[in-house]
Amino acid sequence: MPPKSILKKSAVAANAPPAARAVNGRHLETAVHHANVLEQRKRVELDILRSVMELMDFPSQADADSTRPSPSDAQRFRQAVVAFQPSDYDALIEERNIADKCGYTLCPRPKGKAPSTARKQFVETSKGVQIVDRKKLEMWCSDDCARRALFVKVQLNEEPAWLRQGDYGTDIELMVENAEEHHKTLPLRLKKEVTPAPQDTEEEDAAAAWAARDDALADLAIERGEKPGRLSKANKDLITDKIKERVTKFPPMPPSLPQQSSGQSHMAIEGHVPKSARDAEQAKDSDDEDDEQDWDKALPG
Amino acid sequence: MAESDPKARQELLDMWRIYRTTKEMCRDRGYNVLPEECDIKFDDFSRKFGTESGMINRGQMNFSAIPSEDMVRKYTPPATAKTPAPEAQIGTLWVEFNGDEAFGMKHLRDFITHLTTGSYYSGIMIVVKPLSGMAMRALRGAAQLGNGPNGGVEVFLEQDLKINITKHELVPTHLLLSAEEKQQLLKRYRLKETQLPRIQVTDPVAKYYGLRRGQVVKIIRKSETAGRYASYRWAI
Repeated sequence: MPPKSILKKSAVAANAPPAARAVNGRHLETAVHHANVLEQRKRVELDILRSVMELMDFPSQADADSTRPSPSDAQRFRQAVVAFQPSDYDALIEERNIADKCGYTLCPRPKGKAPSTARKQFVETSKGVQIVDRKKLEMWCSDDCARRALFVKVQLNEEPAWLRQGDYGTDIELMVENAEEHHKTLPLRLKKEVTPAPQDTEEEDAAAAWAARDDALADLAIERGEKPGRLSKANKDLITDKIKERVTKFPPMPPSLPQQSSGQSHMAIEGHVPKSARDAEQAKDSDDEDDEQDWDKALPG
Repeated sequence: MAESDPKARQELLDMWRIYRTTKEMCRDRGYNVLPEECDIKFDDFSRKFGTESGMINRGQMNFSAIPSEDMVRKYTPPATAKTPAPEAQIGTLWVEFNGDEAFGMKHLRDFITHLTTGSYYSGIMIVVKPLSGMAMRALRGAAQLGNGPNGGVEVFLEQDLKINITKHELVPTHLLLSAEEKQQLLKRYRLKETQLPRIQVTDPVAKYYGLRRGQVVKIIRKSETAGRYASYRWAI
């Protein structure tokens, strides 16, 4: 018989690599996950950059009207701006101003001109004279455009687009005069109009819903191992819709200190008198019927 | 030249300094620049680029520079079996001076289209005011957008070029190593490039030399104990 080795069996060592690989796999997974997150962020930022570059040159026609923009322009604007943060929108306005355009994306006019070329300007307002940056004064071609542009800005999501769950966010509304035109161009609405709407859909829907529920219950029963036609294992009485109210027999009373004068108070442990002490007391005067522990009488129900 | 108001004269003086620094920068990077262009006299400068009223005409200051043979050799990656004759990663440079109050994406886009239509390899834009936020992002993402020139676009502020920082006594000599020299260095010291000390590409001197990620600079400084001390930094 050959001598037995005192070294550890190599089978243990052979087991090690798979474990290590599993750890490495997890590391790889984590690394890939984070890389994907970064990649997604980069992609979104690039998208925003592209959108700004595109929206800088809006509107597509030079004779467009800011109050009645063309549906295609408005649609594109709304799509692009959904991913923006308010700061991105501010950057867009800045870029348009540098390009000597009104800050509102759907306005083709050049930006406004301040009365003088001074860096700070005096402006008469209802609150008196205010000193305003010339840049701010020249942002818009008119107050109307400012209102329309800021109407969009207040709808933007503060959260960066790459952190938003699922979709980028809700639809952006525009302040336009020809609203019905824009709604028609929305593909979603169009679909709804195309589908025929029968009159008595409500009843049909309800019936279909009940039928679907019965089907689902039958499937569940089969899943539980029941044969169709046999008695159901599911207890229908498990949950009842009858609610029993507790009826109060007499009005609740505030608790009172035990009226016992003699003996017991020194035996009480945090207000409770042990049975042995009570028994001794009762033996002393057995005719005393008044039990302090009758508080449960006062409970309702 | 007629006496002009002091403000215009000051601007002309500033632009003269900036022009000289820019020329020196191109020379130090290895482009072909004539020595008389680097130390142009102020009178010559104002005659060449000033208007009648003593104002500066920035549009005339734009110039292009061709890399010297030395520079081309430095920027040529070593030949491999796959690419026996690798192309130099450098080419003609276009330098533009922009005097606009605000520099936005519109200007940047125009500059990039000018570079691509003129088939320049890289471009330097010298602006008065810092770029708008979006333009900065566009500059960083220019590579991803994929429409810029191969060598990229650099933007300098005028005030950063008023003096040549590499002439300061505390700034040591920086020497760019070619890919071949870099390999020799790593072999000599048995290093991986990640084991070298680093320098950011946004470092003022790195920006001056237009360092790119992955390049190595040799920094030679005076040392009281060793006389001269050379260290190497990996641009990141």
